[in-house]
Amino acid sequence: MKVTGPHPTPVTELIRLEHVRVEAGARRLLEVSELGVAAGERVAIVGPNGAGKSTLLRLLSGMATASQGRIHVLGRELGPQAAALSRAQWRALRSEVGVVMQGLHLVPRLSARDNVLIGALARLRGRAAWPSWLRLYPDALQVEADAALAALGLADRADTRADRLSGGERQKVSLARLRLQRARLVLADEPTSALDPSAKTQVCAALRAATAAPGQALVTVLHDLDLLPALATRVLGMAQGRIQWDLPLHAVDGDLLDALYDRPPNPVAAAVSSRQSIDRSAVAARSNHPPHCTRSAV
Amino acid sequence: MSAWVASLRHGVPRGRAGFAGLLAAYAALVALCHFTLVAAGDLSFGRNPWDNLLKSIGDFSRPSFLDVWFGAERLEYRSDDGTLLRVEDRRQVEARFLAGLGRAAWITFQIATLGSLLAALLALPLGLLTARNLNAPQLLSRAAKGVLDVTRAVHTLVFGLVLVGIVGLGPTAGILAIALHSMGTYGKLYAESIETLDMAAVDAVRATGATPMQVFFNAVWPSVLPQFISNHLYVWEFNIRDSTILGLIGAGGLGLLISEAVSLFQWSRLATILLVVIALVVAFDAISRRIRQALL
Repeated sequence: MKVTGPHPTPVTELIRLEHVRVEAGARRLLEVSELGVAAGERVAIVGPNGAGKSTLLRLLSGMATASQGRIHVLGRELGPQAAALSRAQWRALRSEVGVVMQGLHLVPRLSARDNVLIGALARLRGRAAWPSWLRLYPDALQVEADAALAALGLADRADTRADRLSGGERQKVSLARLRLQRARLVLADEPTSALDPSAKTQVCAALRAATAAPGQALVTVLHDLDLLPALATRVLGMAQGRIQWDLPLHAVDGDLLDALYDRPPNPVAAAVSSRQSIDRSAVAARSNHPPHCTRSAV
Repeated sequence: MSAWVASLRHGVPRGRAGFAGLLAAYAALVALCHFTLVAAGDLSFGRNPWDNLLKSIGDFSRPSFLDVWFGAERLEYRSDDGTLLRVEDRRQVEARFLAGLGRAAWITFQIATLGSLLAALLALPLGLLTARNLNAPQLLSRAAKGVLDVTRAVHTLVFGLVLVGIVGLGPTAGILAIALHSMGTYGKLYAESIETLDMAAVDAVRATGATPMQVFFNAVWPSVLPQFISNHLYVWEFNIRDSTILGLIGAGGLGLLISEAVSLFQWSRLATILLVVIALVVAFDAISRRIRQALL
């Protein structure tokens, strides 16, 4: 049984976009003149609906294609001018890019453990992959899957079918699957939507744990701005298909976010939002300690 | 009325006026069917329906298998002048009939089983081609859909009549007839199972870098297999019922005995045969329901 991990090729910059345009018909969905994400970074993308956040994420995972520009993801060129990747190359790239989508895309009839083990499929190569067709996995992987589930508090749900789990449990299973994938780059699209506060905390912790190694990076689309301190060291503000600003977390304040979401400058709302905005001192204090997924200072 | 006429111009009548129009058209159709039959004098219950009904109930209420225990051990056939022609042991005769009935039931079961399996295998590629979410080339998917529609439209009995002429009398014709007709049903059910597949989950497995075989066995197969098995049990059960009449056209099995009993007015024997058919179907239905529930 050969279980291989991700390639240890040293790439400091995991993502590089240059002059990228994504169009749907005549409509411009996304226009990025330059963007780089280095290993070790946690980037949050915020912005109103239709800002191009999800399009950017889909572009990075290879699910959307650009009409022009240069796109490098994990050292592979994906842009429209680049030579098309072979199927094997695509698979290798996908195995290194972990995707957590908004929907809870588990295989409904498989147990939680089998769903988690799906994350390890790409690590089984050649003849070792054949037993996985019958969902037979090496003991080491089974132990790893159970440990990943236990870490998320789902040890006793390992044998439950995915379609009998609650929404929060399913999202946790998809994060345990991500853990087994050992992806270098993790792309998450609103990973905490529709979760209760305690599940949010656990999911955030799992996302951070899955991207804690030095060579890894996390890119998250967020609507829940309270989670910024937990999931980001850097924040991209997007609107109308463009990156409006790109700032370290401590430089982001409520006014910037309000302007991005184009909230009305009504005095009452302004007074409320300034109190609800992220407290800089609280963020600065967190930057020295491992942040937690708690609601930021109110 | 004008609203209805206007709605007809768009192809399908819509709205309340459209529904009322459809209802009126249906009522007119039913009335036409009824009154043309009455006018032709073909809609009658015969000369004495009540007596016939009571007589039939009487015949059916004493199924022939009871003779095995209660039949006359020495039934004498005599000519008009009293000469003894033949002596029959009703118990032995009925036991022989029951043995033959058992063999015929087994043949019927064989026809249904092999015919269903053959249909399931034949329909698999056609079902895959017709499933809309698999995006097969349009020419191929149209052709496959055409084949499935045609085979579904032609009754098993009609296929049987043609096939008896080709492969001769016997169970082979029955198996092929069942297979050809059920193929259309299977193909449609397969396509529907595949169309309800959660493609997002399949894409999520693909996104982990899994090979196509791994994606198939870990995402597609576990989702469609229970439905395929459930469909198979359903059609198989349907075919057990269907194959009981295939013997009427010489394709083997219980139907031959049914046609024999009907031709000789042996209603008590027909009652026995029907009891066997009912037992067969009910037993199979109970088993397949258990299996289907376990699969859900």
